[in-house]
Amino acid sequence: MLMPKKVKYRKQQRGRMRGLAWRGSSVAFGDYGLMSLEPCWLTDRQIEAARVALTRGIKRGGKVWIRVFPDKPITKKPQETRMGKGKGAPEGWVAVIKPGRILFEMEGVSVVEARAAMRLASAKLPMKTRFARRFGEETLS
Amino acid sequence: MEAVLEAVRRDQFGRNNAGRLRREGRIPAVIYGQASAAESVAVDPKSLLRILHSQGGANTLIALKLEGGGDLRVLVKEYQLDPVSHGLLHADFYRVAMDRVIRVTVPIHLTGEAKSAKAEGGIVDFVHRELVVECLPGDIPESIAVDVTELMLHDGVRVRDIATGGTWKPVSDADMLIVHVVAPKTEAEPAAAEATAAAAPAAAAEPEVIKKGKTEKEDEKA
Repeated sequence: MLMPKKVKYRKQQRGRMRGLAWRGSSVAFGDYGLMSLEPCWLTDRQIEAARVALTRGIKRGGKVWIRVFPDKPITKKPQETRMGKGKGAPEGWVAVIKPGRILFEMEGVSVVEARAAMRLASAKLPMKTRFARRFGEETLS
Repeated sequence: MEAVLEAVRRDQFGRNNAGRLRREGRIPAVIYGQASAAESVAVDPKSLLRILHSQGGANTLIALKLEGGGDLRVLVKEYQLDPVSHGLLHADFYRVAMDRVIRVTVPIHLTGEAKSAKAEGGIVDFVHRELVVECLPGDIPESIAVDVTELMLHDGVRVRDIATGGTWKPVSDADMLIVHVVAPKTEAEPAAAEATAAAAPAAAAEPEVIKKGKTEKEDEKA
């Protein structure tokens, strides 16, 4: 699973997920991408599950990029614990995703194969997504 | 490779006016370059988007018909897109002098299918998709074609291997790798024991916390 090697603080405040992804919103490395259409916390396990689905979906050949990294620690209180007594223990890591963010990229496969693999990957994700292409290769509406 | 675009001068600025303009079906834009004062204009985003999606892309030379002024030769220097819809929000136009050499970024297109892909199962890794070239505004190439048919495993094409058209010369580093053929990475299926270990909650695996303040050794010295 993806997680930071070093952190400055073990726990973080939750924060907000307002606005759009003004960075990381265009396909930059590969030919095709998977774009998030909703804000969410994407866990390290969800990223890994989608990556596995993506690599198995294209069977052989092709290259995959993961454009998000879970660098935000999430805590959870033990079950049947009363409120108070401080913040819970770190439980996992998430990436804060905003609408427009490119989550994965791919190259070296046909459009049909890429679409099918991205559809399998999107089934592992907690938000609505859309297949994306490089600017200039998108179809004009 | 020249397109025509109409523009009207605008005298209202700021976020609210820009929003109003976009709702009316135009986008704010600015024209600058060639030691003249910058001018604020408004253009039709659909026409501009069609130009940006054309063969020449952002390097298309545009004849900008400015309302109440003459024609201007401009290039799209910069554009802003909406992150989700990828609609245009703003554009920067750069005035060009047709007799002065400029630097532009030209897309590289791969042609053919690498022999290695069939024979050895190699993957064509397209490392750099654009090349910075120097040329006159009228001689900007639409794209640079790179033939990958003869590439075998671990072969590559660098900037120095590209045949220049004569009207343009590359500015990017001659050693810069454009495309190469790499061996495919195969992902091994995890063993059953590893799979169960991975499935268990990784509560123990916590990253190192960067300590603040003095270390123990520094305290002893003090």
